[in-house]
Amino acid sequence: MRIGDFKATYRHDEALFDTPVQRAWLAALALALVAFPFVAGSYYVYLACLLGIHLVSATGLNIVTGYTGLISLGQAAFMGVGCYTVAVAAKAGVPFWLALPLAGAVSAAVGLVVGIPSLRIKGLYFAVATLAAQFVLGFVFREWESVTGGVRGANVPAAALGGFELSGEQRLYFVIVPIAAVGLLAARNLFRTRVGRAFIAIRDRDISAEVLGISLFRYKLAAFAIGSFYAGVAGGLWGYFLRVATPEVFGFGQSIFYLAAIIVGGLGSILGTILGATFMTLVPEVLRAAVGWIEAAGVADAGVYLAAVREVVFGLLILGFLVFEPHGLAEVWRRTRRFFHLWPFRT
Amino acid sequence: MDWPLFLEFSLVGLLSGGLLALIALGFVLVYKGTRVINFAMGEFMMLGAYVYWTCAVPLELPWWAALAITLAAIGLLAAAVERFVLRPLAGQPVISIVMATIGLAAVLHGAAEGIWGGQNLALPELLPRKPLILGELLLPGQVLWSFALAVALIAAFTAYFRLSKGGVAMRAAASDPVTAYAMGIDVRRTQRLTWVFAGVTGAVAGIIVASMTSLSPSLGAVALGVLAVIILGGLDSVAGAIVGGLAVGWLEAVTVGYFGGQARDVVPYLVVLAILMVRPYGVFGTRDIERL
Amino acid sequence: MTVFDRRKFIGSGLAGSALAALGTPLRAYAQSGEIVIGAAPPITGVFAFAGAALHSGLGDWVEWKNGKGGIAGRRLRYAAEDSGYKVDQAVAIFKKFVAQYKPPVFYGDSTGWAKAIAPELSQLGSMLATGPSFSSDLADPAKAPYYFMPGPTYSGMIDILLDYIVKNARGAEKPSVAFVYSDTEFGRDPIAAGKAKAAKLGIPVALEIITKPGAVDVSAEMIKLRRAKPDYVIFHGYVLAPIPEFIRQMRETGLASRGMGTIYSMDKTTLDQMGATGAGFLGVMPYRYSFDSEKTPTMELIREFGSRKPNNPWQTIFYTQGWLVGMIFEQVIGRTLAAKKELTGPNMKASLESIAKWDTGGIFGVPVSLKTHAIPVGRTYLVTGKSIEPVSDWITIG
Repeated sequence: MRIGDFKATYRHDEALFDTPVQRAWLAALALALVAFPFVAGSYYVYLACLLGIHLVSATGLNIVTGYTGLISLGQAAFMGVGCYTVAVAAKAGVPFWLALPLAGAVSAAVGLVVGIPSLRIKGLYFAVATLAAQFVLGFVFREWESVTGGVRGANVPAAALGGFELSGEQRLYFVIVPIAAVGLLAARNLFRTRVGRAFIAIRDRDISAEVLGISLFRYKLAAFAIGSFYAGVAGGLWGYFLRVATPEVFGFGQSIFYLAAIIVGGLGSILGTILGATFMTLVPEVLRAAVGWIEAAGVADAGVYLAAVREVVFGLLILGFLVFEPHGLAEVWRRTRRFFHLWPFRT
Repeated sequence: MDWPLFLEFSLVGLLSGGLLALIALGFVLVYKGTRVINFAMGEFMMLGAYVYWTCAVPLELPWWAALAITLAAIGLLAAAVERFVLRPLAGQPVISIVMATIGLAAVLHGAAEGIWGGQNLALPELLPRKPLILGELLLPGQVLWSFALAVALIAAFTAYFRLSKGGVAMRAAASDPVTAYAMGIDVRRTQRLTWVFAGVTGAVAGIIVASMTSLSPSLGAVALGVLAVIILGGLDSVAGAIVGGLAVGWLEAVTVGYFGGQARDVVPYLVVLAILMVRPYGVFGTRDIERL
Repeated sequence: MTVFDRRKFIGSGLAGSALAALGTPLRAYAQSGEIVIGAAPPITGVFAFAGAALHSGLGDWVEWKNGKGGIAGRRLRYAAEDSGYKVDQAVAIFKKFVAQYKPPVFYGDSTGWAKAIAPELSQLGSMLATGPSFSSDLADPAKAPYYFMPGPTYSGMIDILLDYIVKNARGAEKPSVAFVYSDTEFGRDPIAAGKAKAAKLGIPVALEIITKPGAVDVSAEMIKLRRAKPDYVIFHGYVLAPIPEFIRQMRETGLASRGMGTIYSMDKTTLDQMGATGAGFLGVMPYRYSFDSEKTPTMELIREFGSRKPNNPWQTIFYTQGWLVGMIFEQVIGRTLAAKKELTGPNMKASLESIAKWDTGGIFGVPVSLKTHAIPVGRTYLVTGKSIEPVSDWITIG
């Protein structure tokens, strides 16, 4: 049971990691993350890198949709903008530690261009506008051959630090994971600031927020730009990781993946982002393992159904969480924690 | 300027627009009745076409039997969706409902791929293919007949809503549920009926599209383009669906004709962006969007 | 559902999934001495029809070969997983298999995949890769040293078609041709080279039409085609739709143009769907059809082995390709092992390039060579509405 948890100053009250126990766990996590690539097989490191990229993008989407209440159906397209920016920049010789922020900036700029006309309308209409942006950007990826390589896609040269080439999951892990950690911390911190609280106010009671002096349009635009920045950086990391940028990868289906991740994880919660992204990344792996067992048990060609089953499970997960657990895995976690904090009392 | 060519593109476009208007009608029905954009409409279309194919090809039933079974099946599916997916989520924020229909679309799409496989299937010929030749212009038979069928269906629906008791009750429940309850209208039943109508409309449209092109799980992607039609026409306006359908169909044909097939997909979305910037509630929609 | 039930349900579900995910490494690794053949065929997705048959073909070949004692006495193991024709999924499967099995050979799913893994393939230097893509970019031993393709490039196929047009031209004026292709990597690959070759041969290109891949409403495109009145229409970048629809509408609007296709649109199922209107359709196919009247040893073997499976995938050209890929793998691995060398990338590349005057037992009508990392051999066929007849000899390009 948690007792004696009180704070004497505002600063301590607002701290992200307030108890020594939490700080200890955090240190243990950091150690585990550093040690992970040395003990785990290369496929798991590959998964971890992919998860890191998904985390960055999902965080951006959660800022826009979970915290500010703007439904964005085009997150993958902004990732694509970042990926192609990295492809073009890296080919022009820009080093990766400049190309990544550049990717984020270009994505944010595109986000502004999309947002300025669309953010004056709300709800479903805004969602349809982002959907339109998704498909228009997809068209640009396919047709602007001189820059994006068209349907062929663009090859991305390897990232390099000095002469040290950063390719392959072992090395990129140490680029992706720190960036993801920084992104998550920054997002968590954002909602301790005035800007973040304005976002939350816009989501909850936008008319009251405007009455209180929050310029709705400016803050919504800022939220959308920040979300696009995260998407751009995630796209850039994707480019350095998979070494190729093709139009099909950044389609509507991928946007849905990120929306599903934050809904399953929990809207408006950074912990939810982590849980949701991890869950959605691991579900296909679990399904694959299950199909492998079924095949080993004698049902041949069960693998043919894997893609269909994966999609059905994906949809059922979304529906299931929406109906039974609308606040997502973060809420499940909170309940579990509360149970242990209050034990032996009941919740 | 080659006027006959332009005229031919325009006519073919307007005729194809009839089918888009039919699909848009499905969207509008659901939005009017339950204030939800049904992102799973494309999957209703696709499943309708698959059920029809199953009845017509492996089971070799005559077309009217296949059609009847298809409409019953999809109607049942739509009612089930309304009862088990939408009803529990009533009152939830918009994003939950949007994601629910998207999740539903994923389930239906995956199920179709698992049951029928991913390859293209051919439907038996449904609409007469003989083209209509007007001097230099040639209008493909299937496009003409799909237009005629769409017009007939839309006219039937409009008549039902205007003239029949059930239709008027549905309109009443859609515009003011509380008063409708007070007047003794079973609002829940009308909402379910709305979804059934939308499902049936989608199924018919799906069968037509599949008979004109071919049948595969990706047939539902057509419906995303129809979002442009309803944004243009207004999310809750049947007249808007018709006008929007014709307009978008015309625009698509002319663009493909002069700029090539790769532009076909992007035209509806450019229309969406343009309309949302200028007149978000569409040409005929009710003005209820708050603007900053 | 009470809160308690929900929690238990979700909790046990999460616990089960976590355990399942951890259980993955317990799956059997390749036993020593076994040679693993890895594959990520597009069993589902837009290419499903072809991918499933390819998967059957290669898998059946492995089974047959194991029945014959494997390669150099070593058993073969076929490890395959569906890629859904998605590049990132295919890449993930590739990485997983490399980590788990270290296969010396791998069959992928598309040009996009081949380009994505090219840097890693070069870096690993331990395997050869192939796939169903015949993109000319990949038939370059300098740029793609560890990749080969089991047939001619798409450009090579279009060259064969253009040569046929020239050879059968009557009168002084050269026939005109229209290119109808899909807006994909697959579709666009050979078009620029094809247009250049047409210009060189003096064949006017009447029209170029790009469509979305797969089923699409082609009425607007038909309007343009009707006015251009080409003598031949070359379709490329499609497996089935919308070719039958184009052909049917061409006949209905009175166009006398003859349709032509490349390998993936030349399977009997596709051509059957065109029915009577398909008569007169021409195409290039590198492999012998399974129903060819000339009986050959390999094709008989394919029939005998493949007819044990349901749905008769052995009748498709994709099954033939899967089997052929297995045979090429056998040549590469067999030659390397016979020379007492390790199965490394450079060694296998050398073995691949040493394959010359190889008799495939009937899949190709002439002995073939893989020196250029492709097999530039094909035959032109004519669809008569009742059968598919060859109308040329086996042509070796270049």
